[in-house]
Amino acid sequence: MFLCGALITDANPQMKKNFLLAAFLMGLTDAALAQQPQTTAMSETERAVREENASFIFTESQLEEDADAGQEVIQINSSSNMYTSNVGYLFSPMRFKFRALDQKYSDVYMNGVMVNSAENGRFSFSTIGGMNDATRSIDYSSPFESNSFGVAGLGGSNNYNFRASNYAAGNKVTLSALNRNYTARVMYTFGTGLSQKGWAFFGTVGYRWANMETANVQGTFYNSLAYFLSLQKVFNDKHSLNIATWGNPSERAQQGASTDEARWLSNNYFYNPYWGYQNGKKRNSRVVNAYEPSALLTWDYKINDNTKLTTSAYGKYATDSRTRLQYNNSQNPKPDYWKNFPSYNYDVWGTTDGTGNDFNAWQESYNYWTADIANRQIQWDKLYYANLQMNKIGGDAAYYLLARHNNHLAFGLGTTLDWDNHRDRKFQIGIQLASNTGMHYQTISDMMGAENLHNTNNYAIGTYAGSDARVQYDLNNPNGSVGVGDRFGYDFNIIVQKATLWAQYTRDKGISHNFISAKIGGTQMWRDGKMKHGLFADNSYGRSGTARFLDGGFKMGTNLNLGKGNVLGLGVSYMTYAPQAYSSYGGSAFQAAEMNNNFIDGLKVEHMLSAEIGYALNLSWMRMNLTGYFAHGTRMNEWQNYYYDDVNSFTYVSMTGVEKNYYGVELGLRLKVTSAFSIDLIGSMAEAKYTKNTDVSYLLSTQGTVTTETLYNKGMREASTPLTVGSIGLNYNISGWWFNLKGNYYDRIYLSYSPSLRYESTLIRSRMVDNDGSLIVPEQGKGHGGFMLDGSIGHQFRIAGHPLSVNFMATNILNNRKLVSGGFEQSRSNYTTDQSTGEVATTRTYNFKMNPMKFYVQGFNFMLNINYRF
Amino acid sequence: MKLKSSAYILYSTVAAVMSFSMAACMEGDWDTPDMTTPPYGNNAIVETDSQLVTIDSLKQRYKSAISTSSMEKIEDHMQLKAVITGNDLGSNIYKQICIQDSTGAMIVGINGTGLFPMLPVGQEILIDLKDLYIGGYGQQAQLGDEYNGSIGRMSTDKWEQHVRILPNFNTSAIDTIDFDVNLDKDRYAGYLVCLTNVQVGDADGKTTFAPEYKSGTTLTYNGSSNGYVHHTLGTASMNQLVLRTSTYAKFAELVIPTHPITIYGIATRYRDTWQILIRTEEDIKDNE
Repeated sequence: MFLCGALITDANPQMKKNFLLAAFLMGLTDAALAQQPQTTAMSETERAVREENASFIFTESQLEEDADAGQEVIQINSSSNMYTSNVGYLFSPMRFKFRALDQKYSDVYMNGVMVNSAENGRFSFSTIGGMNDATRSIDYSSPFESNSFGVAGLGGSNNYNFRASNYAAGNKVTLSALNRNYTARVMYTFGTGLSQKGWAFFGTVGYRWANMETANVQGTFYNSLAYFLSLQKVFNDKHSLNIATWGNPSERAQQGASTDEARWLSNNYFYNPYWGYQNGKKRNSRVVNAYEPSALLTWDYKINDNTKLTTSAYGKYATDSRTRLQYNNSQNPKPDYWKNFPSYNYDVWGTTDGTGNDFNAWQESYNYWTADIANRQIQWDKLYYANLQMNKIGGDAAYYLLARHNNHLAFGLGTTLDWDNHRDRKFQIGIQLASNTGMHYQTISDMMGAENLHNTNNYAIGTYAGSDARVQYDLNNPNGSVGVGDRFGYDFNIIVQKATLWAQYTRDKGISHNFISAKIGGTQMWRDGKMKHGLFADNSYGRSGTARFLDGGFKMGTNLNLGKGNVLGLGVSYMTYAPQAYSSYGGSAFQAAEMNNNFIDGLKVEHMLSAEIGYALNLSWMRMNLTGYFAHGTRMNEWQNYYYDDVNSFTYVSMTGVEKNYYGVELGLRLKVTSAFSIDLIGSMAEAKYTKNTDVSYLLSTQGTVTTETLYNKGMREASTPLTVGSIGLNYNISGWWFNLKGNYYDRIYLSYSPSLRYESTLIRSRMVDNDGSLIVPEQGKGHGGFMLDGSIGHQFRIAGHPLSVNFMATNILNNRKLVSGGFEQSRSNYTTDQSTGEVATTRTYNFKMNPMKFYVQGFNFMLNINYRF
Repeated sequence: MKLKSSAYILYSTVAAVMSFSMAACMEGDWDTPDMTTPPYGNNAIVETDSQLVTIDSLKQRYKSAISTSSMEKIEDHMQLKAVITGNDLGSNIYKQICIQDSTGAMIVGINGTGLFPMLPVGQEILIDLKDLYIGGYGQQAQLGDEYNGSIGRMSTDKWEQHVRILPNFNTSAIDTIDFDVNLDKDRYAGYLVCLTNVQVGDADGKTTFAPEYKSGTTLTYNGSSNGYVHHTLGTASMNQLVLRTSTYAKFAELVIPTHPITIYGIATRYRDTWQILIRTEEDIKDNE
């Protein structure tokens, strides 16, 4: 909604016509919120800084650079709530998740069509990175705000306005320098505004760059181009067509989590185990190549003064490949593999003195780690050498680089009829259709000098004889020889089709603004296997059965204007959600889509009851929002896949019947001390945890067998987000300058718990039983919270009669490196098991519980942004 | 700026973007590094004739430590040139490699897994013996490190400091001894051997070489937690000779043939018992 005022660009004899067109276009944006108080009047400079921060955080930051973290933040905002209008980007350096919710609960629309992936429910903000000028116009809706494009999600909803006439006319050049995941950015933007003949064009291109010498995280680089083009024709005061297309081909290297021991040995909080030297040059093993060319066709039809129809069709073909180093029966090449650490040799947590052979081995390892940076990174040359040695005996590659591909062909159609024939009443009804074909497969990216590799499951050899058909990845081509570019390991498509009908009615009556909305939808999904897996010869190749789910629900809310600036808001919702079909980041309807066609047993539609009560006070000198919320989820499904060290097997873990509570309080406050000086107080105290233990079933990739038991996860909390946040901000405006200083506090940061450490069988085997016979469940790992100071300064100059904006944003000014932004527990136990008794045999020297994998925040970092409009 | 020129700039840039997306690649192709000098081991070790000893002479020199299953630190500058005959490729040999020269054979204990790619069978190596330990584990001659007063495994870091990979690689040059239970253990323990026309015990058409332990099993497991299964070979008693197979071995689930077969393996000893270690599934062959 921000830029609607920029539509009328021509003062000419046809101004009347243009005005009508502009009025028509303005009518396309949401007016539902107009009755709610606008609380956050901002200077243009402040807005520019906020937008730049938000754009960076949601579309360009390192949120997706960490291979194990995924991107789960929600881009929440609001025009009427001090908390939600700030929190979206304010706490993002710590990967703050709005209400600790998964991103699948936040719906993203573009010109009215929903663009969340039908397959995993999430929207990847990085796909619109580098085109900031194109993505600033967003209609936000917090969870209990009415809007014009759909039923707001539990985590809120956004609707991007990509119509060409929506953008200001003129040229803009932006230059940026920063020391984050990229170091330089240049963008050029051009818009015509709406011409006399009803045409509007807008385009922007951008380039973001860092190489391994300039990137903030060692061993990473960033190389991304972006384009966005939009063309609109307003035919008359009734019809308009717009076509937009965009994409940002990107290549970037990732950072991995590691243990505190690695950080201590490397003296680097941003220690990155994913890179190493090859022939003296830095090489990263985790490289992402992504490109999602997308197109959006929009037809706006103003049927009459009170009724309009908005229809958008969306399509994309997305390619995404992510490399990773793989080893074949050989030594794990990860430099931070647990056996490589000094503490593998000597119990550093124990009470014994540092003497003896074990301590000497610790010292040797310590010396090795600290002698040379190359020693603590991937040693590519050695891996190549190992392969050349294997060539001598005709053996398969000991090491190779895989690429995991997650490609998507997606289509969406959204149409909304907006009826507004009474000044106090509005009614909307709409349909959203979506289809997604996800193509998931693995290829060999680099043989690393090896001459041979076969498409066999070497992890299963041992469980089964090498000649056993069950060790084949593809029985249609047994023992298939593979090379660079060949598909390997798994190859399958997931097809999802969704249809949703929704409606919303808003009515203002007396002091109240009320809305009720509801939706009902159907989802069907199936898998189409392209390989006949040896462990699942009968149900891995070809099409699976089709699973169908019916979901929907309602949402209602009211805002009561109690007078004198007091507003009370109430909302309640009951929604059901079809399971996510598949996501390599977590969430799946399939037991192990990489292996077979089976759906998870006991898969159900998730239920979510939520409610919110909010109080707002709007005075000339103060604006305040205080909100309490509660959500209770039942019959939820969760799914993870990871390497289960205890049994030396990859495992696929399905949890059904999950129950969780989300609740908390949020405060947003702006005190206007003088016309130039204001103070912001923002904070929330949240809880997000499992309320009962969960049924779990897990499949081991080496055996193909499924084990079902109880997972003791009651009391575990949502991870990798601070559950307690607080911020005090000082804003000062003078003579076109804008200064901002923010002190942010983060606490209660939990690490992602490892299910396998809390299986009933694990707890019994490791004798985690108290005197009463009750199981002792390990406490969830936590990260270190703390304080961070951020600041911004901005000013708008005029050069040759045109505005030149200069903004400088500094984050973590005090360089507090000890803040943990997330991580996960290791999934290995501290003991070995006696095969004959099933009991604990020996306790390992290395302590996995004391060595979780963590991500730390960036130290001091900045962004200098200069843009010139002409 | 006129609309036309702005549009031209934009279109040109977009075209550049599109062409970049098709062609440019920062990651690029990576060539195989120059491997003239192996990036594994210690290339500073120089072969010195005056320091070279044979396996047999080394074993003779430290005969006492080996035969009493104790250990001794090698204080003198000595070098050993040998060929690798066994490693952990089949996961039956664990944290060891087996070496052999024209005079004898022995074991090297290394506290690492996945050793086989760097140290394949047939690879000639040069070992700088000074400061390593030598001793007997169940009287089996072994190089390694001191561990609680006995011979143990050396760390991988230490191993890399003491080994140099030589250019010679030849699997066919390894002498394979025809095994006889009466062979002199002091002389031949550690050799690559061949047993022809031998029946493996426990063969019933279903039993595999090393199934995971199950209560009630009739198989002979070595210790309670080691995960090794011992099978008889031919008519020899288990006190004389066993086929030692790990439940972690890649061939663990291979069904034991019910007919006599040919077996290749490393003939190690544990005191007075021969323990045959198959290296990979390829060591198990039908009689020719």
